Amino acid sequence: MERASLSASPPPPPRAPLIKNLEFKIGLLLALTVLLGAAFIGYALYARGAFQVSHTLVLTAEDVEGVSVGMPISFSGFPIGKVRRLHLMDDGKVRIELAIPREDARWLRQSSVFTLEKAIVGGARIKAHTTNLQDAALEDGAVRPLITGDATKDIPVLIEKVKSILANVDNMTAAGAPINQTLGHVETVTGRMAGDYGLLQGVMGSPEKADKVVKALDRANTLLTSLNGVSLKVDGVLGKADTRLFGQDGVMDQAQQSVAKVNALLGDVRESLKKADAILANAQTASKDVTKITGNVAEATTDMARLRLEIDDSVRKVNHLINEINKKWPFARDVEIKTP
Amino acid sequence: MPAISNFLTRRGAALLATSRIWRATLGLAGEVVVAAVSPAVYNSATRTVVMKQIYFTAVQILVPFTLFAALLSFVLIQIVVGTAANYGLSDYALEMVVRLLVLEVLPLVTALFVALRSGSAINTEVALMRIHNEIEALEDSGVDTLRLEFMPRVIGGMLSVLSLTAITSVLALVLAYLAVYGWQPWSLPDFSRVMGQVFDGAILTSIWLKSLAFGLAVTVIPVAEGLATPKMLFMAPISVLRGMVRLFFVLMFIEVASLAFKYI
Repeated sequence: MERASLSASPPPPPRAPLIKNLEFKIGLLLALTVLLGAAFIGYALYARGAFQVSHTLVLTAEDVEGVSVGMPISFSGFPIGKVRRLHLMDDGKVRIELAIPREDARWLRQSSVFTLEKAIVGGARIKAHTTNLQDAALEDGAVRPLITGDATKDIPVLIEKVKSILANVDNMTAAGAPINQTLGHVETVTGRMAGDYGLLQGVMGSPEKADKVVKALDRANTLLTSLNGVSLKVDGVLGKADTRLFGQDGVMDQAQQSVAKVNALLGDVRESLKKADAILANAQTASKDVTKITGNVAEATTDMARLRLEIDDSVRKVNHLINEINKKWPFARDVEIKTP
Repeated sequence: MPAISNFLTRRGAALLATSRIWRATLGLAGEVVVAAVSPAVYNSATRTVVMKQIYFTAVQILVPFTLFAALLSFVLIQIVVGTAANYGLSDYALEMVVRLLVLEVLPLVTALFVALRSGSAINTEVALMRIHNEIEALEDSGVDTLRLEFMPRVIGGMLSVLSLTAITSVLALVLAYLAVYGWQPWSLPDFSRVMGQVFDGAILTSIWLKSLAFGLAVTVIPVAEGLATPKMLFMAPISVLRGMVRLFFVLMFIEVASLAFKYI
């Protein structure tokens, strides 16, 4: 052995004895290597869940682009299992088998919802959402639909909308845009409001105009005060008019008296008319002896003329009286007594 | 016409020589592997030689190489983790680091290091033995050169590559954990999940096979190239040059083949 080694490397024969603890060192290295190798294989098996009892969860989806075997399923951002197998079923849907370690299976309940989300950067993610953790646990081998939400699918539509919104905002913020002008006006108005006359100045535009309004209001106040006085006076006048019209010796009173007088006068007129009737009857009797009486006609006619004058006189008095009442009585009626 | 036939003759001879050396290499590899797995070969003499070879190719360089590998891993991990964070891909940083370092960079760097340090030495040694007719002398005196000279070197090289790869890879995993999660043990389940995702059966097998192939190539090619050296002293450097170039291409071929196996 020594000979072979020496002959294999001719120049350094004294090298061999320099190695101390050769066997120990080699043994250590070999043991370390074997240990590391075995430990690593064991760790890899553990990491892959070889020593883990896991539940199976089956998800069905239309499209599993981005899903791969070994991909994690996450709950609240924590991986709780991974995809074990993917295959296409006869109806064109995809069946995804997931292995959920038993201690993590408690996060999945009957009401859990599973989604597949695809981001712009990075791979797709399968997520489990459980709102009610008190719900009954999801049984081993349960089949659930996988809801696919593709974020990238909506992006073109979203961008179009955002573009139009941005264009609107652009228009709104451009120099001379209506909203800018409005804001400018609002600023002017609020600036004025900060002046001595506040809101009024804001509305009127300048302190002078606001001042006028204030003065006008003052005047209106004064006017109202004097109107108040006027209405008081009017009240007094009305009271007096009331007294005059309806009080003792008022207009109404007098009118009543006048009506009584008229009645008396009308009685006189009736008397006169009766006398006229009697005269006419006499005239009839007399007409039988016309010739006899002719001599008396002239005399009778003279009486008739006198009677007529008397009646006319009475009627004139009545008329006069009525006219006077009319002057005093506001509710005038066209009353005229005419002689027949 | 004679020029063309001359050219063709030279090309053909070169091609034959190349194929001969490849055949010789593969034949030697086969013999060594067969010898290495036969328990009958291991008597106390063989064991001592094997242990010395392991000492020279692995133990001697263990500490400096491990320190170098730790530095390289640390820098690469920082670059990958930092870049991933910048792009908002922190979730994938750990997986990326593990795939980059443990599966590709560290085995290749280890193989290259052992090739430069031990492979070149073995090539020179065997070439000189061949030039000085020592191999024939040993054979004549009844020494099994394959068993006592070549197989121990191959075993030493393979174990060296395997040990160094294992040690530096585990160190890189620890560094990666510290770089991504910091000094705390609570992220171990998360770390294990990523490890489980990366190291499936095929990947584990491919790492072992790749490391074994690297170890085999790093020692068998220099031995074969040294044995094929023409018996002229000035051919020794040329033999080493050819051996190193061929070794480089073989290492790269193994690396590319393993990448293709994993990702295509």
